[in-house]
Amino acid sequence: MRDRRRCIDVRLRRGHCLAAALAVSGLLSGTAACGSGSGSARAGDPNTLEVWTRSDPDSAQTYKRVFAAFTEKTGIKIDYQPVMNFDQQLQSRASTKDLPDVMINDTALMGSYQAQGLLKPIDPASIAGHDEITAKSWSSTVGRDGRHYGIPYSRQAMTLFVRKDWRQKLGLPQPKTWQDTLALAKAFATRDPDGDGRKNTYGMVVPGSAQNGYVAWWGASWLWQGGVRIIEKDGSGYRPAMDSAAALRTVTWMKDNLFCGDNGVIQPSALTSVTANTTNFQDGNAGMYLTGPYNISTFDKALGKDKYEVLPAPAGPAGNDVLADGEDIYFGARTGKAKQEQALAAFLISPEGQTLAMTGDHQPVVRIPVNSTLDAARVRGDARWSVVQKAYEDASLQFPNAPDWAPIKQDTADSLNALFTYCGSDVKAGLKELNDTLAGDLKDQDLLK
Amino acid sequence: MTATVTTPGPRRAPRLLSKKAVLGKKAVLPWLFLAPGLLLALVFKFLPMGKGVWLSFFDVRPFLGDKWVGLDNYTRVLTDHRFQDAIGHTLVLGIGMSLGGIVAGFVLALLLEGQARSLKIIRTAVFLPVVTATAVVGEMWRLMYYPTSDGLINSGLGLLGMGPVPYLDNPETALWATMAMGIWMLAPYNMVIILAGLAGVDRSLYEAAAMDGVSLWQRLRHITLPAIRPALGIVLTLAAIRGLRVFTEVYVLTGGGPAGSTDVWMTRAYTLGFSRNDIGGASAASVLLLCVTLLFTVTVNYFRKRGDVR
Repeated sequence: MRDRRRCIDVRLRRGHCLAAALAVSGLLSGTAACGSGSGSARAGDPNTLEVWTRSDPDSAQTYKRVFAAFTEKTGIKIDYQPVMNFDQQLQSRASTKDLPDVMINDTALMGSYQAQGLLKPIDPASIAGHDEITAKSWSSTVGRDGRHYGIPYSRQAMTLFVRKDWRQKLGLPQPKTWQDTLALAKAFATRDPDGDGRKNTYGMVVPGSAQNGYVAWWGASWLWQGGVRIIEKDGSGYRPAMDSAAALRTVTWMKDNLFCGDNGVIQPSALTSVTANTTNFQDGNAGMYLTGPYNISTFDKALGKDKYEVLPAPAGPAGNDVLADGEDIYFGARTGKAKQEQALAAFLISPEGQTLAMTGDHQPVVRIPVNSTLDAARVRGDARWSVVQKAYEDASLQFPNAPDWAPIKQDTADSLNALFTYCGSDVKAGLKELNDTLAGDLKDQDLLK
Repeated sequence: MTATVTTPGPRRAPRLLSKKAVLGKKAVLPWLFLAPGLLLALVFKFLPMGKGVWLSFFDVRPFLGDKWVGLDNYTRVLTDHRFQDAIGHTLVLGIGMSLGGIVAGFVLALLLEGQARSLKIIRTAVFLPVVTATAVVGEMWRLMYYPTSDGLINSGLGLLGMGPVPYLDNPETALWATMAMGIWMLAPYNMVIILAGLAGVDRSLYEAAAMDGVSLWQRLRHITLPAIRPALGIVLTLAAIRGLRVFTEVYVLTGGGPAGSTDVWMTRAYTLGFSRNDIGGASAASVLLLCVTLLFTVTVNYFRKRGDVR
């Protein structure tokens, strides 16, 4: 009897191990293959739109208010899903060929979504109020085939957040050039701007991890200011441009001065930091942060409005362009609810929809309005937003949106992170390798010229 | 006096169920009880897994039609130098974490074996890392590893007069730092299994050994270790699986960086699938992981069985 039980135990254990092994390896393929389905009883109702946004719970509150106003106005109901891990969930839903009706997500993802056939093309003329969106914003939603695949919803550009109290205490001017920025960063790191007698402050915050391409996102503004383009349009295609003299000069400058220079210019652990765990600015131990204006409400709460200032990015050798991005409204392929979707988009870009999304007690979900009749600073009663709006309108550049940008961003981030990590590395060789990789990415998309 | 150890007789090959019983009610009943679990496993594990294997042969484009590419995804994954590096890191991390976790778990089990109430409290405290979400543990260790004297570990080093070490930001140390966190998380889990094994050790053998005046090492070598061989077998099998699938620890702690120095199989597959939208490549990477995991499990079980027979 004892022998028999022991034997059953062994068999169970062995079976368990096998199942565990299978389950482990099935995890990723399972995530990729197993969609959750729409999961909504209202999915088939033509008068209900399933809408996804990539939002945390606070931003979701703002969206809920906007959608409630839309339902009240039109009678069209919204089945709203704020989704944190948006791309993972979207891939799951795509595998079941059952997409949300409307999605609001980053502009830079349009090329990727279009390449996968996830989006319905859009005729701008079919959206009421389309003429209130500027040509610059509309031009950013043109796909590889010349048709529009998104409707601009929110825009933003990076600006420089500076600890005003520290700067004034040290008697230093607002930075206007890269050299000023570097000098100010060194002063913040070494001259005890918080006055506690300890060397516990840093000059600048950098989310420099390659994870999800963060260092390419943060570094893009520096690249633009150095006259670098990651890829360049060439006729009907693109060619990689990271082997240029400007790229060599700019990346070398960043490596030598920010990552491998004096200690303290950037925060420790920058090379493995993403925005979520890069909290040194709001924690009060770093003096500068080149980032998006979505942080304004967070910084106001953590530091107080009077402690910091929002400035245009200092200029590099080729100007002071910063990375512009934002969010578009996308229509999921094959949903069959065109009229309702168009009605929702028209409301979202209208002065009423945009104003609702820019105000309220929770995190605003429209940063710079795409509706040209609105002024961000006036809507919010806050002059700092005019700095952001001006940066977007006059000195900003978006990632090219037509190619599938995801692999290009990831490869650029992998390469920059490696170059910044190894201070003795050969920048020229590293950039040449990156350029070859980018050429491969473009070739995979049949876009290489 | 020499302690006499009764050796078990030769074990007969178990014949659990006769042919008749296989077809009888006794054999059907367990399957009935298992059916709900099996059904759930089928729908949520095995079918998606099968789909994953299928997708690994395609360029996946759900709305444009998947394109058959044969073994291209596998070739691409296996020839990608970043993936090769990641496989190397996975093996180093997996083996290091597994062995480290077992040794640390064994030491903890020996230290915390017993019935005293205080030991129960300490055991519970030591077990906490296992029930804490890996993401939380990762964030905690990020703070502990903070590369200035403000970090817990570096402030300790500071007391010894040593300078702060950038554990996670130096590619030379990042993998080892991740391994240390992994061992910290795994050891208590192993400890519990080994404790269960230790509870079954015949106390009279220890008493006899004490009377013979054997050393601590001899006692461990000749009594404790042989007695807990089945527990060690389980721990080793689980460790082989867990070591290879390591993901959250790395993703939260370093995100695979710096310079890809902590990239492992799963983080690479995740990047392929969800940062580069290459579901076919990610599926191929996952299938390869499945094959290697199966191979590891079967190998560990083979050696365990051979050890049992001996």
